[in-house]
Amino acid sequence: MRFKKTLLACVVGLAISQTASARSDLEQLKAEVEALKQEVASAAEWKSPRTLVHMAGYASVGYTDTQNEPGTFKMGNFSPIFHYQFSDLVMLESELEFEVDEVGNTDVSLEYLTIDWFMNDHAALVAGRFLSPLGNFRQNMHPSWINKMASAPVGFGHDQAAPNGDVGLQVRGGFALGGANANYAVFLGNGPTLEANGFGGFEKLESPGLNGNGDGTFVGGGRFGMLFPDKKLELGLSAATGDIDIRTSTSGPVYEGLKRDYSVLGADLTWRPGNFDVRAEYIRQSVGSRAASSVPGSADWTAWYGQVAYRFYPSKWEAVARYSNYDTPGEENDRVQLAGGVNYLFESNFIGKLDYESNDNPNDGYEADNRFLVQLAYGF
Amino acid sequence: MQKSIEKTGRLLLAMTLTLGVAFGAQAAGSDKSKEGDFVRGARAWAENCTRCHNVRDPKELRDDQWKTTVTHMRVRGGLTGQQTRDIIKFMQESN
Repeated sequence: MRFKKTLLACVVGLAISQTASARSDLEQLKAEVEALKQEVASAAEWKSPRTLVHMAGYASVGYTDTQNEPGTFKMGNFSPIFHYQFSDLVMLESELEFEVDEVGNTDVSLEYLTIDWFMNDHAALVAGRFLSPLGNFRQNMHPSWINKMASAPVGFGHDQAAPNGDVGLQVRGGFALGGANANYAVFLGNGPTLEANGFGGFEKLESPGLNGNGDGTFVGGGRFGMLFPDKKLELGLSAATGDIDIRTSTSGPVYEGLKRDYSVLGADLTWRPGNFDVRAEYIRQSVGSRAASSVPGSADWTAWYGQVAYRFYPSKWEAVARYSNYDTPGEENDRVQLAGGVNYLFESNFIGKLDYESNDNPNDGYEADNRFLVQLAYGF
Repeated sequence: MQKSIEKTGRLLLAMTLTLGVAFGAQAAGSDKSKEGDFVRGARAWAENCTRCHNVRDPKELRDDQWKTTVTHMRVRGGLTGQQTRDIIKFMQESN
């Protein structure tokens, strides 16, 4: 009897203890659920903030085998793009470019940095350092994951015939025009820089986006494009005008003080019938003559290219061929290039390219080396 | 110097005219709807994005990322504000 009472007491004690423990667990569970609810509510507050931050960009790596040179692996570039957007009112955009040279040094440059004010549905004011709106390749097609070949067409690289960038103001936008969509960009900027070679000719005409106006002149112009959606055709015309002076010092803004005319003229075409992607562009930068200057004559930098790509749907293979031509005031840098290649699109933004370029300098006494290029490009 | 001032003046005039046209187009847009539209967005996406690059899968990015990305492309591609809102709507509802 005593044993039974003891056993009963133990069982009741155990039951009470377990009930208390269960209550404790339940309370803890309730507290955890409450904390979780608060966390979810807090996270929901940030689903639609007025300020958004996003990083995009692109990068490429590859291998180049140039005639008369040893083959070499290449880190092409790493170009992060930062977007900071406040509501639908304003966006800050900036692209950096990291490159590594042959001796291992890393170069960093600011490709662009603009504050874009969306004034209305048809116009955005873009202020700062921007990619030149003249033409199409330099402003839209040059990123490695977009360019269907591993290199730019000759004359469309940095500081060749196609203007690269400027510092100033732009107004950009679009509107419906009949059955087509018009897009436009007009700009006013500090303009390019011109250098003489010391032998009565020009060394180079560059438009890196000068953060100063040492020659005291502005350059302005723009591009007007028409997109015909039903024909998958876009046509663009570009023009710019202004004055330019010869910079006599490479280390500072020292100029001749003799201004001359500067102008740009360009046209571009994009046509995408079926599996084809056809692109062509012409661009010319000109400087006028100026008596009493160390280089009195006028000069033109002209380039054009035509490119056809064909996508073998449903496969991920693509073939591409391109002809490009670059004519400079001198003879050494003139190029005629015929290039062909195949691309494998792992994804729409991750592309493997294998290209061969036949390069030629059409002037007597000069040569240009042919080369194979392999490239992996990733846009993110 | 005089020539330079004249050129700069002409350029400023051109920019002012452009702004005028842009604001005029805005004022004339009586059928404008501020909200994005999925169907219009699908069409604008198909017509515009492949002008330069391969088409991107809506599932690549989150809703907030599509907003900044398409706004960036508005500037790059000369899209209207309405086209931008339509494409954002389409991408956000397709990811």
